[in-house]
Order: sequence, then structure tokens, then C-alpha cells
Amino acid sequence: MLYKNLEMMKKLDEFLPEIQKPARYIGGETGSVMKDKSEVDVRFAFCFPDTYEIGMSHLGMKILYALKNNVPNYWCERVFMPLPDMTEQMRRRGIPLYALESLDPVSEFDFVGFTIQYELCYTTILEMLDLAGIPVLAEDRKSLTPIVVGGGPCVCNAEPLCDFFDIFVLGEGEEVNLELMALMERCKKENSTKEEFLKLAAKIEGIYVPSLYNVEYNENGTVKAITHAPDAPETVRKRIIRDFDKVYAPENFVVPFCDIVHNRAVVEVLRGCIRGCRFCQAGFIYRPFREKSKDTIISQTKTLCQNTGYDEVSLSSLSTSDFSDIEGLLSGLCEYTSKNRINLSLPSLRVDRFSEEVFQKINDVRKSGLTFAPEAGTQRLRDVINKNITEQNVLDSVKIAFEGGYTAVKLYFMLGLPTETDDDIRGIYDLAKQVVEQFYANPDRKKGKSPSVSVSLSTFIPKPFTPFEFEPQDSEEEIRRKQKLLMDYASDRKITFSRSKYEVSLLEAVLARGDRRVGKAVYLAWKKGCFLDGWDEFFSFEKWKEAFSECGLEMSFYANRRREYDEIAPWSHMDFLVSKEFLISENKKAHEGKPTPNCREKCSNCGVASKTGGEICRAVG
Amino acid sequence: MPLVNTRVFFSKRDRAKYISHLDLAGVMQRAIKRAALPVWYTEGYNPRMYTQFMLPLSLGQESLREAVDMRLLEQLPYSEVAERMNDALPGDIRVTEVGVPVFKNTDIAAAEYEITGELDFGQFREFVGREHIPAEKKTKKGVSELDLKQHILFVEVSDKITIRLPAGVDFNINPQLVLDAFSALTGSTAAGSHILRTKILTKNGEEFR
Repeated sequence: MLYKNLEMMKKLDEFLPEIQKPARYIGGETGSVMKDKSEVDVRFAFCFPDTYEIGMSHLGMKILYALKNNVPNYWCERVFMPLPDMTEQMRRRGIPLYALESLDPVSEFDFVGFTIQYELCYTTILEMLDLAGIPVLAEDRKSLTPIVVGGGPCVCNAEPLCDFFDIFVLGEGEEVNLELMALMERCKKENSTKEEFLKLAAKIEGIYVPSLYNVEYNENGTVKAITHAPDAPETVRKRIIRDFDKVYAPENFVVPFCDIVHNRAVVEVLRGCIRGCRFCQAGFIYRPFREKSKDTIISQTKTLCQNTGYDEVSLSSLSTSDFSDIEGLLSGLCEYTSKNRINLSLPSLRVDRFSEEVFQKINDVRKSGLTFAPEAGTQRLRDVINKNITEQNVLDSVKIAFEGGYTAVKLYFMLGLPTETDDDIRGIYDLAKQVVEQFYANPDRKKGKSPSVSVSLSTFIPKPFTPFEFEPQDSEEEIRRKQKLLMDYASDRKITFSRSKYEVSLLEAVLARGDRRVGKAVYLAWKKGCFLDGWDEFFSFEKWKEAFSECGLEMSFYANRRREYDEIAPWSHMDFLVSKEFLISENKKAHEGKPTPNCREKCSNCGVASKTGGEICRAVG
Repeated sequence: MPLVNTRVFFSKRDRAKYISHLDLAGVMQRAIKRAALPVWYTEGYNPRMYTQFMLPLSLGQESLREAVDMRLLEQLPYSEVAERMNDALPGDIRVTEVGVPVFKNTDIAAAEYEITGELDFGQFREFVGREHIPAEKKTKKGVSELDLKQHILFVEVSDKITIRLPAGVDFNINPQLVLDAFSALTGSTAAGSHILRTKILTKNGEEFR
């Protein structure tokens, strides 16, 4: 019989009607997987350290959820971070964090897995463990279960989280998650200890067991050496799916009862990116470039739309317009979607691939705003960051958009990029101004309408496994000076600016390139009450500052310091296939202002092809 | 082709009681799409699937009798519509009946509820026996005072409460209002009680169909 924790249901019924949007906390949605508990051998609590609305929009979670639940004796359930009105009631009533399918406490699961998508969720992880009644420090958890495991992009430098996790999964999770669950199934039968389990897990490719590594530091605070236990490999290599066209894709989603951020079907079209923008971590850590076939994508779209009943489908990838046969794909998809009254949405389009044909296809959807990301204001700086688009590309695309009836355009830029000068800053406004002029150059424009161009300014954050991992982040004074410079220079009221908070970018930079000692600061910040740091209303930089100073760490050491090429990075025992030599050569080319051709034009030997045997990367030919 | 006006009755229980009235339309429309029923879309610039729900149910209350209207593009056996929708709906929403709309939305005049749970039923019996039951009803215009006693159309108290209250577009009394008044006037708690809507009725006391 399908299991249901009626006792918990009853407890929740007592107060859920008083809670904001209670549908988030109760499960039972279409597509959620219920099982007979007596036939389940391994249970996985898949935790997303953010709210239901954010986590339920995430494709990776949907893939792994469906994949694990496909195995009859494994049960994967979902867990999200409740908001304070809910946590307050839970704490008062002694209700621990529970999973949405069974409503069972998370502490009863074999695995408590977190997908770690951004640095600002670190304290939320601790808060969720604590709500679950699970000791947050790995060393305080002695028994075999629960094993606390983490995956996602942030584990390319998981060092600030090593105190809290037993295991990290590097790279793509489709295969390794099942291997890990099989190992748990075996270890539970054999009554193994946690230590035995961890040693066996460390032998699986892609599994990083932080407790089997030791880090020593130099007097100047940099890493001196990273040593490993005999049971653990010297470097841990990330996992990749070799045959991407055959990779598991979910045939159904959990369709929420309430609205979420992206309430739609999502189909992945490609992994990796051919572009190599030097600031972009995703562009490097998700290599090699692989595509699904057009037919696979179309058939997966149909299945997913039929099973979920969604009236919107989105294609997902780092750069969908780089799909080799994008126009063929869109024609094939539109044939199905328009007949079935489904909207097709295409995020992640590059401006240089923004052709009239592509535009026509998305034009059928909804006329809201369009977003472009030139990232830098001048060609010189775009060459430095290897964002290989020209001013003309941007203006051509904007022209098509304005002619197609759009009036609002959003432009993304970064401040504080390496080698940036005041001319580059002024270039941001100049480019935005030209976009405005492009609107008035259209003779068919609607009379009486004026364009609105919003410029979003974020602060550059150097990330591991990018050519900019050696770069300092601009200081607060410098960023403020640059922001002011731009505001003083700007005069056109049709251009509006929005800026990111410097403190948030600084913290992200610190956590992104932090070492194991930063874990203390994460712990203290959480103890002081930090959680959901990515949310303006909960973020407290004061608490973070106190936390760092109490453990004697300088944020500037991690964020604002240039790192030598030969410095041992805290993440140097991680192997994300891209070689350090390549990152160094790209860094040098950046400082020379030289772009690198995209992977489709020419292979630049980033190391991925040679390490994977050369057959997997599909960027060239 | 003539459109087939169709009324679908359904229950909304257990976890589904936390689906808000606003979200219910989305839940139902996606289920209709999963069931691949041939339904009518509104015309115009932004076509939408046509569904119209009767008598909103408060969040947290359950119901055996909810109704939604849609228009089918072809005549299908009602049993088939019910079956296909039940295959597509979340388990805690069940289609109970499909048919031709008999009454109009505006014909709805009352609803019957069953209240169970941890509640002092003896005290409740005394409470409804009072001559006046003053209560404050919040409306869009503000708070109005009323005497609930005049609006209780029927009540029977045993180990549960069966109560009939005005319902509909013009005037509606939420059973929660009665429970709140009970708590306020007697000091006895009604926090552990469950409200289940069992019937929707017309002016003549007929079952809304």
C-alpha cells in the first residue's frame, strides 16, 4: 500500500491554514511519487536550499528525482526551505523538517542530499539540517545514515562546506547517484559503519569524501599542501555522461498546486558551451559540449507536455541558439506547440545568433521584454572577457526586436571586470544610448511610443575553474566610484539603471574561492541567524562581517587579492577536466586583449577532449 | 459545431484542501490538458481555456461537492469525461459527476457543511440555541455586524455538526465565521475542527446541478 504519514498530516492540519501558501508544504501534487515504504530499501531526501518556488523550478532536481524513483526499491522525495512563518510553527510544535511525499522526518532518510546552485545558499543548508534535527557538523554524525551529500556547480570548490558534508558528487549526477544508492543498499545489508561506507564511496569516480583529505596552510594564509588518505584518489574527477543523446530525461514533472518561478515544462537541449566567456564558470565546468538530437528533443517535449499538461515549454541550456540545427529544431517544435496551444519560450539566446527566423518563432509567444547580455561596454573589454559579440550584433538584434513591436529592452553588464578603464564604463551608457537611437531609426515605429532600456549592472565575481580565477574582485570603493561615474555620465531618461548590492557580490566572491577555514565563518554566520542570504529581506552583511572577524579571517584575502599562477588553489584536488595550463593561457590572453575562437570554429585544447578520449566533445564537427 | 456546455462536479479533500481558489483553475486546466479533452478556448488576443468555478471554497476546508463549467467541442459520454479527468487529476481531487448544467451560477443560495473534530459539541448545541449570535463579517467594504442566528438555515448537532448557511454570489456565510463566533462567545476552542462542504443548494432547496 502507498505510504502516507497520517500522524504528521494531522499535526500539519492544525496550523497549515494559517500559513502563507500552505500548498508549498504539503506535497500530493500530480507527478509526485508515492511508494510502499515496506518495499523501499534506500531513501533519499533531495533538498533544495531555497524556497519551494525556486527549487521546484530547477530542472536538475526533476531529472534526479525521476531517475531515482524509477528504481522500484529506491524512494527519492523533495524538501525545500520553509519561510519563517512556517519554521516558527514547526519549532514551536516540535515538528522536524519533513519530506513532501511521505511527510516523514528528513532525519529518517539514508541520504540527505543538497543541490548547491549558488554560494548564498550555504547557511540555508545548515538551517535545513538543524530544522531536521540532524547535527550540522559531519563529525557529530557517527552512524551510517543519514549521509549528507552535496552536488551542483558550487562543489567545484566545496571547501567552505567540508565541515558539514560527508560526500560531494562532482559533475553530472545521472549515473553516480544510482551507484551511490546501490552502495548504500549493500552497506545497510552488511551493517557497515559510516567509515566503511565513505571509504568505498571514495573509490567511485566523481565522489569526493572531504574527510579523507587534509589541508595545510602557509604563514601567508595560502594553501601549502593538500594530502589524501590512502583510500582516496589524489584528485577527484567530475563525472560526465558520455552518450548525451541517451541520457535519462524525465517523462513527467511534479506539477505544483501553486504558482512557482518557472511553472512550465523544461527540456534540456545541450550541455556545455562552445563560447568560453572568461568570467563564466558554467561555460567551463559543464564542458564538454554535447547536444541531443533534434528528434530526441522534439519527442521529449511532446511526452513532457502531454504528461504535465503545461501550456508552456522552455528549452534549457547555457546557450540554446548554439544548437547546431536551431532553426530546424524550432520549426519541428512549433509544429507541435502551436497545434496544441503551447507557448514555446527560449531563454539564453545569444545576440549574434538572433536571426529573423528565430525571432519569428519566439514572436508567436508573448511580447514582453527582451534581454541581451553584452556584459561589457566596449569592444576592447569584450575581447578581454572573450564575449565574442560586437556592437553591431547587439544593434542588429535590437533592430529586429523593435521592428517586431518590442519596446522594452534589458541589457546586462558587469562592473569590475579585469583591465576595466573609465572608458569602458562610459561605453556601457554609449551602447545603451545607441539602442535607444535604434528605436527611433525605425520608420514604422508606433507614434507616441518611446523605448525603455534598462541597464542591469552586476559586480564581477571571480570564480574557480575560469580563466579569471586568479583575478581580484574590485574593492567596494572602486565599484562605488565606477557606479557614480556611470550615473554622472548618463543623461537619457529612457535608460534606467539597476545595481546589485556590493556586499552580496563580495560574499559570493569570498565563498566561491574560499578554503576550508571559511567553513567556520559559514557556521558562525548561521549561528548568528543567517539563512536565505540570497533574499534581500533576510540578508545581513553585519552578521557575516562579525562571523569572519570572530574566526580571524579577512574577506579581502579571499575576494580582493590577485592569486599567482603557481599558488595552490583550495580546489586544486578537484579535476573538472579543463586544465590549469589552459586557464592560465586564457588569463594571459585576456590581459593581452586577445579573444579565443569559439570551440566550433577551432578547438583550443582546453584539456577536456584529451582527458575524455576526444570522442565526447561535439563542439567541432 | 455546437459547443457542449458541461458541468463537472468534484471532491477536494486531504492535501488538495490547501489548493487556493486562485490556483485551482491552473490545477484543473492542466488536468484537462493531460486528459486531452477537446475543450473550448476563449477567443481574442490571448486565448485561454474556458473554465468557470462555482462558489469558492476557503483554503483548508474540504468539499464533496465542487463544480466547474467547461465547454466541450464535441459530445463525449459523461462517464468517459469523468474517467479521463480522474486519471489526470491529483488523487485528492476526484470527479464525482459530469452532466449538463441545470441551474445557473446565480441560482446558488445555500451550502451545507459537516463540521467534525475536537470540539465541545454540547456547548455548540447551546451556542446555536441562543437568541442572538452576534458576529463581525469582513467584506470588501469593511466590517459589518450581523446576527448569525438569522442566517443559520438548518443545524443539527450530534457527534458532528451539520449546518446549512447562505452561499452564493450575493451573500455568503463562511462556516468558519460560525466557529469563530463560537470561540469568541464561549471561550471554547474550535481549532481542531474540520469543515467539509457536502451540498450546494438552490433557493428552492434543491441540489445544485
